[in-house]
Order: sequence, then C-alpha cells, then structure tokens
Amino acid sequence: MEEKLYYTNREMQAVSIARLISDGQIAVVGTGLPLIGASIAKKLLAPNCHLIVESGIMDCDPKEVPTSVADCRLMANGSVLWDQYRYFGFQTNSMRYSNIDLIAFIGGAQIDPYGNVNSTCIGDYEKPKTRFTGSGGANGIATFFNTVIMMQHEKRRFVEKVDYLTSPGWIDGPTGRKDKGLPPSKGPQAVVTDLGIMKFDDETKRMYVDQYFPGVTLEQIVENTGFDIDVSRAKEAEPPSVDMIEYIRTKVDPHKVFIKY
Amino acid sequence: MNKVISLKDAVSQLINDGDYLAFGGFTTNRKPYAVVHEMIRQGKKNLYVESGPAGGDMDMLIGVGACTAYINSYTANSGYSNVGRRFRKAIENGDMLFEDYSLDVQPILYHAGSLGLPYVPVKHMLGSDLADKWGISEEIRKQHDKLPNKKLIKSQNPFNPEETLCLVPTPDIDVAVIHVQKASTEGVIRIEGSTIIDVDIALSAKRCIVTCEELVEPEEMMQNSEMNQIPSFIVDAVVHVPYGAHPSQVYNYYDYDRAFLQLYDKVSKDDEAFHAFIKEWILDVPTHEAYIEKLGVNRLVALSVRKGLGYSVKEKS
Repeated sequence: MEEKLYYTNREMQAVSIARLISDGQIAVVGTGLPLIGASIAKKLLAPNCHLIVESGIMDCDPKEVPTSVADCRLMANGSVLWDQYRYFGFQTNSMRYSNIDLIAFIGGAQIDPYGNVNSTCIGDYEKPKTRFTGSGGANGIATFFNTVIMMQHEKRRFVEKVDYLTSPGWIDGPTGRKDKGLPPSKGPQAVVTDLGIMKFDDETKRMYVDQYFPGVTLEQIVENTGFDIDVSRAKEAEPPSVDMIEYIRTKVDPHKVFIKY
Repeated sequence: MNKVISLKDAVSQLINDGDYLAFGGFTTNRKPYAVVHEMIRQGKKNLYVESGPAGGDMDMLIGVGACTAYINSYTANSGYSNVGRRFRKAIENGDMLFEDYSLDVQPILYHAGSLGLPYVPVKHMLGSDLADKWGISEEIRKQHDKLPNKKLIKSQNPFNPEETLCLVPTPDIDVAVIHVQKASTEGVIRIEGSTIIDVDIALSAKRCIVTCEELVEPEEMMQNSEMNQIPSFIVDAVVHVPYGAHPSQVYNYYDYDRAFLQLYDKVSKDDEAFHAFIKEWILDVPTHEAYIEKLGVNRLVALSVRKGLGYSVKEKS
C-alpha cells in the first residue's frame, strides 16, 4: 500500500544526515545533501555545531546553496578562510586535540561490507570501464575522521569487494585499520541510502541495517545489497517533522538546486 | 620593474612544450581560464599538469590532447558535471598517463614545495589503493624526467617505528599559473577570499604567470600590505585579463556562469561537440578581449556579485 508522504526521499536522507550531527560537533560536509542536512542540524537540532569544508573554509553559513566546497557563497559567510594545506594539518592534528568531536560525510560509487568506499573507477584502474572524479577530499576524511557515507542503495554499488579502494573504512574487520597503520578508533559510523540507514557492528565492524525509511521494506534492502546483510536489528526510521521540511523548502534550498519536489 | 606583458607573450615566452605546470583555483573558483585558452590557441603540448581540485580548465586542456601526464585528485565542474568528461574519456581510452592522490595531499605537497622540502610524510592514502595501485609505474617514470621516480614510498617513521607513513615526493613544477583579483604592475599579488593552493604553487615553481582582474599601481598596493601574499620578485609575468577566470567565479568580482558551465557539461560529453566548442570559443577567438566581447556586456554584468553576499543575485523582473 502506497501512502502519500509529505516529504521526498531526498528530504528523508537530508534529515537523516541532520540527526547524525550532535550539538557542538564539527561536521565536515560536501555540497549537495550533506550540506543541506548539516544546515538543518545547525538551525533546528544542533545549533552549536560547526560546518567546515575541505577547501579550508570554517564555520560555513551560506545564504544560498553552494555548488562547490570553495564556492564564494561559503567564503562570504565563513569565520576563517584557511589556505588549503591548513585543513590537511587540521585532519592530522584532530587526533591530538582533546576537545574535538567530529563527523564527516562522504559519497562514492561502491561500498563493501566494511565501509570501504570507491569513488575512482569501475573496472581496471589503469584502463577503467568507467572513470569518476577520484578521491577529492574523501580519502583524507576516511583516514582521520568518523564518517557517514552517502550512497544510492543498489546491488551494483553494495558489493563484496570494491573495484578500487579510494577511502578506507574498517578494511576487513576489527583490527583492519590498525594493521594498515590507520588511526584505529576512527572509521565509518553509518551509511545513509535512499532506503535507510546502515551501521557497523561494534565487534565485527560489518554493516547491518539499523533503520529503514517509512514505505521501504527490509526485503527491498536485502534485494538491493550485493552481500549478506543482517536485518535483525532494523527498526523503522522516524519521519521528518513538518517544520524540517518547511525549513528545507523555504530556507535551505528554495531554488530547488538539490531538493526537487 | 614592470612585469606587465600580453597574454600571448606570457604563454609563448614562459610556457614550453614538455613543461611541468600547476594551475591555481578550485573547480569553479578563480580558475586561470584565459591562460588555458591561450595555451590551446598556441597548441602547447606534451605537458605534465596538475591543479589540485581541478575543473573545466584542466578538462579542456586534456580534451585537446595537450597533456602527456595528469596528476589528479578531483576533476569536474562541481555541481555542473559529475566528472570532467574529457578527463574521463582520456583515462578510459588510455590516451594519457595519470596518477591519483587525495585532495588533501596535493596542497601539502605544494606547501612543502614552497618551503623547499623534497617530500612529505603523510598517513593519508594508507590502506587504500591510492597507495597500492599506481597509475604510472616505476618503469614508465624512468622515461619521464619530469616525474619523480616513484609515486610514494611506504615507510616506518624513523623516530617511532610503530608508525607507518607514506613518503610522497614534492612535484618539480616549472610554471605556476594563477588568476587573482589584484596585481601591481611590478607583480605584488593580492588574492581576496580563500587563497586555496595558489600561493604555494607560485612559491614552489621555477616561473610564475599571474593573470589579474585589476592592475594596481605599486604604491597603492603598499597600502594594507598585510593583505598581499606574493612579493613581486616571485612573479615573472603579470597579465591584465578582466574576466580571465570566466566561466568560474572570482570572489568580490563575479559569480560563475551557470549557463556556460551547463553548456560545457553538454558539449564535453561528445567528441564532435567538444571540438566545435573549442573552435567556436577559443580557436576562432583570437584574443581574450575578443572572448569577452563574444560573451557580451549584459552576460558579464549579470554575473556581478552583490556586496555582502559574495554572489550574483537574479532579481525577478
């Protein structure tokens, strides 16, 4: 039975992103849904969070939706415009700062059960079938920060093994990151898709279904996942509030750059 | 000393075929398009090129076949193309050597270069194919003097053997090309808004071409000199090209040209349409002045930014 919802699937994803940001946290965002989600968080859920971007702009508060992370829309209202290398240093030092709590959002073309992400190519790296932009800031983010991964939920994207590992997740289990020399305590926290929210088991670091969006079935998630996924802990996600949807449509993306309805 | 020369002379005198080039800006912001256009007009080739977060500027240069090797971390007009279409095609066809790094690693390499350091130890890329799969093998690197002999070396930190690091060599840049808001006639540079990678590539390159929106008298540039980033003796050529970053944006001056970026996304998907576009907008347009004239006054005025917002606002009529 199809129920008419008062929000779109992308709005549900944006709100899911917003809910994953806690007050006082630093959120590293890209353009598109992560920035929209983070803007909702900043206004309605976590007013003391800081939005930062990999181009080096701190405390982003754009008055119009930007299309790049170095958009003048971000520069005009940021607190500090770092040279880009300062952001590199901030990543590396974030493990040292005692007061830093940080969540970062990345996307990709493929993901495996341990949250390793490919945003480089499909097929052979040297002569690929399909080539994408490459890492962007995702590799650095995945190296040092807790991440939330944004992905369309399709079987060809949720794969046993990614064609190219651009951004490390938990590698192959609980000791994977330590074995590779990566900061062991940081890593993927959640995957937000058009169907729901996946998380990673504390013990095994393998992906499981945490929430499914209203109107989505667990069978749908299993069918669209290219590896075995545990659904035993899944619950239905809470729909967004009317206020949140109103805020997205009137304040965050009034020109429907990223959210169409 | 007055460094002001024409775009044509700057490109013909300072950029040689086979050079290693680095371009400033960020995807759709302050990209040195005027120089890229002139390089295409002059048919520069066999280039080793990188641009950190690159956009349509590098995509065009790749599309005309000017690049022997391209060092990438991201190439697309963000928000307008999911991926640089010519970049994608060149790699899928095996037309060009390429290497991938993380977008955070390129700026630190440029910064190290600006400090005169030969390599940088980073934790980035560990556990990923950025470290384990190389676009350009050691064998092929031997045939290219411009490239370091290895992409990177994984090594223990000599002061703490428990720590693993990637040692990444600094690029040996022949020419840096940046587009800025203000340059004095002698070459003192003032960038407004984020400087991105531009100061570091200028300081690490052997030669530096600066294109600017505004030419400023040297005395005027000494007012509020804390806002300047690059002294004149680093700069080899100053070229006055208003709208020299079009279709990308320039903080405090103009916004990106959305319609033009959308047009580029469309034409760059198709070989024939791409080459027709290059002919129409670059090869058949003899100078930057002619390019601006072709764009038209009203189109450029509409891109003006509104003070206080930093971008152009379309009022409903």
